[in-house]
Amino acid sequence: MYSQLAWRNIWRNPRRTIVIMTAVIIGVFSMIFLCGLMRGMEVEMIRNNLATLTGNIQIHQKGYRADPVVENSMTDPVLLENAIKTNLPEGAAWAMRVRVNAIVSNARHSTGVTFVGIDPAKEARVSFIGKAVTDGRYLNSDDTNKILIGRALLDKFKTKIGHKLIVMSQDADDEIASTAFRIVGTFRAEMESTEKAYVFVTLSDAQKMLKLKNGISEAAIAFKGQSIDGQKEKALAQKLKSRLPDSIYKVETWPELLPMMREYLSLFDNFIYIWYFVVFIAMGFGIVNTTLMAIFERMREFGLLKALGMKPVSIIRGVITESFFLLVSGIIIGNIAGIITVFLINRTGIDLSALAAGVEMWGMPRVIHPELWIIDVITANLVVLVLGLVVSIYPAAKAARFTPIEALEKT
Amino acid sequence: MRNRIILLLLFILVPSMPGFAADPDAKSLVADSFNYMRGRASISTVDMTVHRPDWERVTTIKAWTIGEKTSLFLIVAPPKDKGNGTLKKGRYMWTYNPKVNRAIKLPPSMMSQAWQGSDFSNNDLAKSDTLINDFTHYIEGTTIADGKKVYIIKSIPKPDAPVVWGMLKLKIRQDLILLEESFFDEDFKLVKTLTTREIKLTGGRLYPVKWKMQKAGAKDEYTRLAYRSIVFKETLPQQLFSLSNLKNAGR
Repeated sequence: MYSQLAWRNIWRNPRRTIVIMTAVIIGVFSMIFLCGLMRGMEVEMIRNNLATLTGNIQIHQKGYRADPVVENSMTDPVLLENAIKTNLPEGAAWAMRVRVNAIVSNARHSTGVTFVGIDPAKEARVSFIGKAVTDGRYLNSDDTNKILIGRALLDKFKTKIGHKLIVMSQDADDEIASTAFRIVGTFRAEMESTEKAYVFVTLSDAQKMLKLKNGISEAAIAFKGQSIDGQKEKALAQKLKSRLPDSIYKVETWPELLPMMREYLSLFDNFIYIWYFVVFIAMGFGIVNTTLMAIFERMREFGLLKALGMKPVSIIRGVITESFFLLVSGIIIGNIAGIITVFLINRTGIDLSALAAGVEMWGMPRVIHPELWIIDVITANLVVLVLGLVVSIYPAAKAARFTPIEALEKT
Repeated sequence: MRNRIILLLLFILVPSMPGFAADPDAKSLVADSFNYMRGRASISTVDMTVHRPDWERVTTIKAWTIGEKTSLFLIVAPPKDKGNGTLKKGRYMWTYNPKVNRAIKLPPSMMSQAWQGSDFSNNDLAKSDTLINDFTHYIEGTTIADGKKVYIIKSIPKPDAPVVWGMLKLKIRQDLILLEESFFDEDFKLVKTLTTREIKLTGGRLYPVKWKMQKAGAKDEYTRLAYRSIVFKETLPQQLFSLSNLKNAGR
């Protein structure tokens, strides 16, 4: 009986009902949509960061991360190789690298870069570089003294493919090693800073130049479906740790490798909740206000109910049921609108290229594909429903307190 | 039979190709010239003028050198920079700044930076010896200047040599005095030019006392060296070139 009464009551004044329902719809829609945007951004940011030579898991010599110099490289990677090979999950790829800081220069320019020696075939499956070459060609494993640089660096140096670059760095004997490399190709990256920061040569060239023999700086493992909390990675890292002596090797998962990224993600999470709260406050006042208005308008009705002997609790229940129907209808329409919008935009993505310089700082993608997470949708709906009901207790209590006398006084 | 014809062809063709016609003297001419200009060992005082469109600075430097590998430079004036110095031994370089009271070994990152804000880079000082061995030298032609024969030498870096230049052009006078050194990039565009003037009898030999490093395309940007005095010696004591001298000599 309550629900039937409530349903009829809310449609007695359709205009008011539609106004308040619109508030709920817009609130729910914005929560879902913004959340989808944020999640899409997060996932893309992680993918970007992992592809930029991070991988899901990295293994270094202990101390390398604090001081990435040649002295902290792994001199004999055989044990490491075996450990990785036996534990590698299906579909995962791995690669070894030499990575040091170096100076590249030509006749007019010079700049600091990260000099990376890669195994071209293996690296292509681990990081972005395999698919990023736009001009010239990718490295071959039998290249000697060939270098792959970013498009932005090429432009900055005003040089071209086929020209020479001199790379200088400290070698394993503490001497300054300098070697001439010829540019074979350029790569493009999501961010210009990546194009300027990395230069690639073959692993054997880097080892020869730095007098590392078989030494490597790091091994990276990459697999599909990185988890946002790094749980999958943790399991594999645990397995690897048991195979590698703790005193020499350090196995780290990406949340450990990118602490800033990890903190940023948790900031994102909190931001979502703050947004929920802000939207709700705006919506909550709307609900209270409109419901109160409705209550005062229907004072005679409540007075009459009271005079007929209805208990205050029943009046409260009636008003809250009305709110409940309002909220639920709003939530349903809001959800449908939000989910459809996210779904449609997901296909094309939102292009942020115009703001590229600004978003680059955080490694944000240029195109955002919003993504829906069930947990976010449920949270949004629960927040609106539960808090919506809570705030409508106040007008309901107000209605319950009217006496028949008061109702008669206010015609 | 076919091989022989090819061989024969090679014999006919090779000498006529410019690349193979390197004057055997070119390399020794460059080496001799550099040895002459540097002397076995020398002690000199130089005024270095760094000129820029809106300012100019003059620094007086005292320098001790042995050959091309070992050198010690100390700034003696102006008082603000006094005590700054650079020590070079082999491929290593240290700089000393009295304000921080510390000798710093130059990391590779600083080797291509300007030395004391001039148009000379640290590399110009530290790796000058690579000029002779990392390049293939050809005599391109000769001219006459001041009644003396001047060799124009083109130096092309060896394919894998770690040098940034695409080509160097040297003008060396018959009596081994370097008149001009031009640095070109890989597109053979001029980057900077070193010229010398006022060849005088100083320190027991003919020597240009004015040097100028001029950036191409920037008329107002150059560095001039004017020798106040230079003395050539057979040798200098090795212990002169120590870190403690780098720190203390300026005081």
